[in-house]
Amino acid sequence: MIPVVIPADLWEGEIEGAVSAWLFADGDAVRAGDLIAEVMVEKTSFDVTAPAAGILRIRVPAEQPFKRGSIIAAIA
Amino acid sequence: MRPSPKQWLWMYQTMVKSRIFEERIAAAYFEGKSPVFNMANGPIPGEMHLSNGQEPCAVGVCAHLDAGDFVTATHRPHHIAIAKGVDLDAMAAEIFGKATGLSGGRGGHMHIFDAAVNFCCSGIIAQGMGPAVGAATAFKLRNERRVAVSFIGEGAANQGAFHESLNLAAIWQAPVVIVIEDNAWGISVAKAQSTAVPQNDARAAAYGMPGHRVAGNDPEAIFAVAGAAIARARAGEGPSLIEIETHRLAGHFIGDAEGYRPKGEKEALTDPIPQLRAKLLGLGILDPTADRALTDEAEALVDRAISKARAAAYPVPEQAYEKVFA
Amino acid sequence: MTATATILPNRTRRNLTIAKAMAEAIAQEMRRDDSVLVLGEDIAALGGVFGNTRGLLDEFGPARVRDTPISETGFIGAAVGMAAVGLRPVVELMFVDFFGVCMDAIYNLAAKNCYFSGGQSPVPLVLMTSVGGGYGDAGQHSQCLYGTFAHLPGMKVVVPSNAHDAKGLMIRAIRDDNPVIFMFHKALQGMGWLGTVQGSITDVPEDAYEIPFGQAAICRAGNDICIVSLGAGVHLALDAAQSLGEEGIAAEVVDLRTLVPLDRATIIASTAKTGRLLVVDEDYQSFGVSGEIIASVVESGVALKAPPRRIAFPDIPIPFSPALEHPALPSAAKIVATARQIVRAGR
Ligand SMILES: Cc1ncc(C[n+]2csc(CCOP(=O)(O)OP(=O)(O)O)c2C)c(N)n1
Repeated sequence: MIPVVIPADLWEGEIEGAVSAWLFADGDAVRAGDLIAEVMVEKTSFDVTAPAAGILRIRVPAEQPFKRGSIIAAIA
Repeated sequence: MRPSPKQWLWMYQTMVKSRIFEERIAAAYFEGKSPVFNMANGPIPGEMHLSNGQEPCAVGVCAHLDAGDFVTATHRPHHIAIAKGVDLDAMAAEIFGKATGLSGGRGGHMHIFDAAVNFCCSGIIAQGMGPAVGAATAFKLRNERRVAVSFIGEGAANQGAFHESLNLAAIWQAPVVIVIEDNAWGISVAKAQSTAVPQNDARAAAYGMPGHRVAGNDPEAIFAVAGAAIARARAGEGPSLIEIETHRLAGHFIGDAEGYRPKGEKEALTDPIPQLRAKLLGLGILDPTADRALTDEAEALVDRAISKARAAAYPVPEQAYEKVFA
Repeated sequence: MTATATILPNRTRRNLTIAKAMAEAIAQEMRRDDSVLVLGEDIAALGGVFGNTRGLLDEFGPARVRDTPISETGFIGAAVGMAAVGLRPVVELMFVDFFGVCMDAIYNLAAKNCYFSGGQSPVPLVLMTSVGGGYGDAGQHSQCLYGTFAHLPGMKVVVPSNAHDAKGLMIRAIRDDNPVIFMFHKALQGMGWLGTVQGSITDVPEDAYEIPFGQAAICRAGNDICIVSLGAGVHLALDAAQSLGEEGIAAEVVDLRTLVPLDRATIIASTAKTGRLLVVDEDYQSFGVSGEIIASVVESGVALKAPPRRIAFPDIPIPFSPALEHPALPSAAKIVATARQIVRAGR
């Protein structure tokens, strides 16, 4: 399992981000580098890419808040 | 021409009122928009363009206008609406989409209309210029001493309607003043990238009317230049164009991450409200007690407007079908 | 539930938003053909207010990715001139509602020069423009105006409902020798701040591919009723078809994909098969897309089991307040209720 981590330095402070859209469903096959999610922090959006090839396991569904540094998915 | 103490206090309090109003609107706007910032959500959906930093333009010009004078504004209208005397309660209710709003919720933040004080605005760039020229021409035809003012952004000076309207204003010698709020940005495009001349007042000459540039976002200088142009229009001496250097202290709309803005550019801008407060304190026109009282009064008016707007009922769906025709 | 997700063998899915699919299509065409360039407001450093030109400035530079002043008549007219001498401009009109300041350049120039010149002077130009409401942006920023553009001869009109189609239709549009109005719906664009209909995010092949114009997609098959829509309406229709399916009504959903040319054959065949027709359109109801589709079906003479119906935006400017706007918009619930009536009436 390779975790999909939101880098702790992606933004500052205690505010929470959320996935605005998962581009793949839980259980889909993805390739390394595929864009898998778009994350919004207040009004800025960031692209999240797959760190490795494998099966996507979503841990944090869309629109659910998380802190920077969180693991939002894993690649099995 | 300098503001009287009474005018100074009105200008200052109006700037403060506008700022507090927009702070409350911004706070309400963010409700329901987290963690995912989705414009459709919350008590105020849609785009929201704030005017913080640009208040001097509104007060320096509107200090010379009364309810009978006709004003057109833009997608960034709150400061001008407030300075023109638009009903604050009904405007807040409109922005919240309520039945008690100026337009019963049909227009929202970009379509503030208050016919009682001859104010309107719209979301299409430079769209207000033609109507301002027309209203001014009507006043002239009827020998009324009313004038029209069209507020636009510097980005609008490259739109066809700008050039066509200036020419019309000049050939008809309409009592109209075009006020360009030059905040240096049209969304992400810097003025220098979009406009072939550094200052738009230079363009006035091409249409045979006086052009003025006011530097420094300075309420006193704006008051003086606008006062002269409006007096000239009222006296039947024709149109003028004024470009005011002002500051967009926030994003184009709420939600604009402003990645295009060079580092440090925004931080270097000064907020005109503390600046004016210091100036008026220095001039002895304001003292800390009066400042507190003026601010409290403005805040109370705004808070009343916002809480009435929140408490008001939404229109019923059938009302969408009303008012399409007179 | 995507319209046309073609997953090629030996290839895993790669899902994109419409914004990214459009940007990828434009980039691939710019690499392939030096004559392609992009112009419009906020399309360079910002990457487009709706994200569909993101990354192009970095790769192609400011000569081919040009931010314009707010001068739509000027730059759309200029694009017609560029096209006249061999370039293939892709131009953005930020919101379709702004057509008022530049329609002359669009329908009197771009759309007619080929004809006026007896074919000597075609206008290979793409005008991409955002459409649609539902997020409280009021009546100058929420219209669809599909019918307005489709009504005027000389322009092709494209309305994608998902990322796969957006890429293939954009590539086709850039290669087309005619003006193409590419209308992308804000609710489908994949900008978090506008929300995103999940069904618009689909698998998009990496390689360049074209989707031919004039071929509607049947994105759900059914025998009881044909529901025709376009853009965001397709997703409402699919949601409605799902619910209808649960109550035993099998709806067929047709995604038009292009209005000009219009795939009347597919609409007529589907209606002939089901005997019932419902058109769903977010544009104004009268004198528009929904009327044209119903007229085409009626003119074809296919036997109908019930009168055709439509769900469209009422003939009023789009109001700001969600309390007024939302009930006026098409919805899955309205589609379900109307489809049910049609099916019951025709039993
Ligand atoms: C005709 C038209 N084109 C484009 C837009 C989109 N738009 C809205 S605001 C804006 C920038 C306006 O800049 P400026 O006139 O300088 O005013 P500011 O926003 O800086 O107050 C643009 C391009 C529009 N509303 N109308």
